Amino acid sequence: MNRNARKWWRAHKQRVQQQAVPSHTPLHKELAENEQQLRALYDNCSDVVFRSFRIGGSTRALVVYIDGLTNTEELERNVLSVLMKTKMPKDSAIGKLLDNVVSVSQTNELATFEDCLESVANGFPTLLIDQQECALSFGLAKWEKRPVEEPMAEGVVRGPREGFTESIQVNMALIRRIIKTPALKMEQMQIGGYTKTKVVLAYIDGIVDMDLVTEARARLNRIDIDGVLESGYIEELIEDHPASPFPQILSTERPDVTCGNLLEGRIAIIVDGTPFVMIAPATLFSLLQSSEDYYQRSIVSSAIRWLRFLFTGISFLLPSLYVALITFHQEMVPTSLLISMAASREAVPFPALVEALLMEVTFEALREAGVRLPKQIGAAISIVGALVIGQASVQAGLVSAPMVIVVAITGIASFMIPHYIAGLAIRLLRIPMMFLAGSLGLLGIMLGIIVTVIHLSTIRSLGVPYLTPIGPMKFAEWKDTLVRAPWWMMNARPHLTGDYQKIRQGANQKPGPEKGGDPA
Amino acid sequence: MRTWGSVLILVVCALLLGGCWDRTEINDLAIITAAAVDKAEESEIVLSIQVFIPRAVGGPGLGGPTGSSERALTTILSAKGENIADAMSKVQSKLPRKIFWGHCKVYLFGEAVAKDGIAGHIDFLVRHPEPRNRAYLYVSKGKAGEHLGNNSLLERSTAEALRELASLHLGMAVTLIDFRNMLNGESRAVVLPYIEAGSKLEKPAQIQENTLLLGSAIFRKDKMIGVLSTKATRGLLWLRDEIIRASISVQIPAGQGRVSVMPIRGKTKLIPAIEDGKWSILVKIEAEGDIVENGTKLDMMEMSSNALVQKAVEDDVRSRIELALYHLQKELNADVTNFAAAFHRKYPQKWHEAKQNWDKIYPQIEVSTQIHITVRRPGLVTDSVGHPGSHDKRK
Repeated sequence: MNRNARKWWRAHKQRVQQQAVPSHTPLHKELAENEQQLRALYDNCSDVVFRSFRIGGSTRALVVYIDGLTNTEELERNVLSVLMKTKMPKDSAIGKLLDNVVSVSQTNELATFEDCLESVANGFPTLLIDQQECALSFGLAKWEKRPVEEPMAEGVVRGPREGFTESIQVNMALIRRIIKTPALKMEQMQIGGYTKTKVVLAYIDGIVDMDLVTEARARLNRIDIDGVLESGYIEELIEDHPASPFPQILSTERPDVTCGNLLEGRIAIIVDGTPFVMIAPATLFSLLQSSEDYYQRSIVSSAIRWLRFLFTGISFLLPSLYVALITFHQEMVPTSLLISMAASREAVPFPALVEALLMEVTFEALREAGVRLPKQIGAAISIVGALVIGQASVQAGLVSAPMVIVVAITGIASFMIPHYIAGLAIRLLRIPMMFLAGSLGLLGIMLGIIVTVIHLSTIRSLGVPYLTPIGPMKFAEWKDTLVRAPWWMMNARPHLTGDYQKIRQGANQKPGPEKGGDPA
Repeated sequence: MRTWGSVLILVVCALLLGGCWDRTEINDLAIITAAAVDKAEESEIVLSIQVFIPRAVGGPGLGGPTGSSERALTTILSAKGENIADAMSKVQSKLPRKIFWGHCKVYLFGEAVAKDGIAGHIDFLVRHPEPRNRAYLYVSKGKAGEHLGNNSLLERSTAEALRELASLHLGMAVTLIDFRNMLNGESRAVVLPYIEAGSKLEKPAQIQENTLLLGSAIFRKDKMIGVLSTKATRGLLWLRDEIIRASISVQIPAGQGRVSVMPIRGKTKLIPAIEDGKWSILVKIEAEGDIVENGTKLDMMEMSSNALVQKAVEDDVRSRIELALYHLQKELNADVTNFAAAFHRKYPQKWHEAKQNWDKIYPQIEVSTQIHITVRRPGLVTDSVGHPGSHDKRK
């Protein structure tokens, strides 16, 4: 940003603030004055409702709320009707109204216009009374929201089926319902000049390294943006290495994943308006773990983890290996396989690299189209896809059958990665790898692997090296990285940064017949 | 920004300029499956190569004919030249695709070439980066090139058939690297499997008989000097401690019939000794086998008949070994059993002194044998099928 732009931005911000809020202006004593101010601010806002009435038939009062964000039934029953019937106390103490008349559980006294605007915007009906310098807001917000549903992107066979929703209150409640200790802290802040999006920084006091919280808080406070529509905005503004293709912050739709990470001493950042909660710090291996690993039997989970590592490697390397072998190292392919490959490539007009690129790009296009299209058309895409990547293209002599198999396996392999975003990163790196393989053969692939490993060992997520526990060797943590040890073996928490609570559970809990319930 | 941009361009250029130069699409390769070297007039040789035709394999939808059983999968090209490299460039001029040695698994040498010495040809094969060190070598009676013309009934090509033949371990199986090691070894004697191309037969059913393992060809240095029969070759295999997958059939006089034993594992040790200037060697064989056929009246569950069989097999192995040694020591004087290495290991000093005279010492070496064969399993039936005996429950 050049200097002019920066100057303009500063002036613009001032303008916005002046316009939006008469900041920290106290409310007037005269109701008419306040009403005029508010009506001026909400000029042309057809969804804002101003309802004037008299308390007990004498004192003038005004309720302001936004249609659709407020529970009007409750407002009528518990606020309007009771206030109209009661008499305004003479000593004009607003507290008495609260104590004796209004039966709403969550109320707030507001002294400034700014507070009033915020409470109205959040859906709380706000009551202004003549001759009072205080306004009252009632916690009667209610709007249409999606119910808690099964997460779309992170399904499990065994495990809770709750997923986060777009509402931050619901999301916080989902977490709180799992972790009931008061040590679970949820620091709230607002980000976004216009959207004023609620962002909550959650952590468990006593488990987390407080330096991590301080750092995260500082990074969040640094953000100066006009709107936050999804947690991705925040992720991009607080991550350590913006140029890396690898996600350095984990995002999840699942409360159980969030809680599991909180219990391991990580922090969670919940953003209003999105079901995706961010978890930091993240490592490469945490991207290759699924919540179900912890719910299945440990031997099964370990095997599945290995399968996942294998297929991650396949999705990264298989097309480039194929290209390298077929263009440079034909002697490394078993003879009968080479003969079959040679036979199937006989009619193909393209070099192997072009063929591979063609198929990979087509596959990516189909995948992307499948994600964006309405569900009704999805079936059409899969039919067309099966024709393009499949028998038809082989019969047409455009690609060879082994290449179709390679692309198909690679496609499946990249979907083995439980976190879609991490899968995307690896899929993206596949393309330069294919160019390296097509120009330098296996040497090029080795070169690509070396560069990738160097990059991975350079980056950090909130100070934690990305390849932990292999990058800095932490042998004790391999039990939850390369395998998934049974719970009775995982007595120590993984170490992220700084001070942390090391012991997580009682020792020697391996079940066995001698520990059985029967004392005899 | 500009510096980074130029660095990026440099890197991309380096990659594209440094790579690709040796890129060969698989469609541009002529995959050789087997090569044969024969003698031509004067000092020239004829190189014949069997080239695989990818188009002929094509399955459905691959642009090739579907029921391609009528079409040959391979074709043969040959050219004359001073040596393999020279002949190869002449063959190359007849081929639109680049000759690729990387999958040539069989090299055949004609008897005439083998008698002239094949060290030069082997040098090409081990020096050139493409040919495999694990390719099998064969010596052919008559013209080696004739083998390439024969179609194998079961395998895709003659090369494949010959390679499978080697892996069956019925005769010698010698790879390029083995050949080199033998030639550079103490005894400087080499043995290669010796085959013969059957007469060209028209009917496919008879083609499977076209390649016959005749035994082994014995080389002193790199020149072929003689041939061992199949029977003697088995003895040689025992002496060389190589796996044998051929059953041993022995006549048992007491049982009035034959018993066949299939060896499953064996270990041969050569124990050299020099006493009073007399060189001798003890061949110690420990082997196990299963009975695969019992044509006698004997009950193989009895220890006594088992012992009979063991004894008979031991005698058979001994006679084969003695046969092999007779040819090697007395007739050919070629130490392909590598006694030299055994002496070298045990008596390095004396070996050093005697090295020059090895040709004189070798025929004089006294060989004694100590063979122990254990017959482990009588097979799935207890009685001989033709002679129901004591284990018949109906009795």
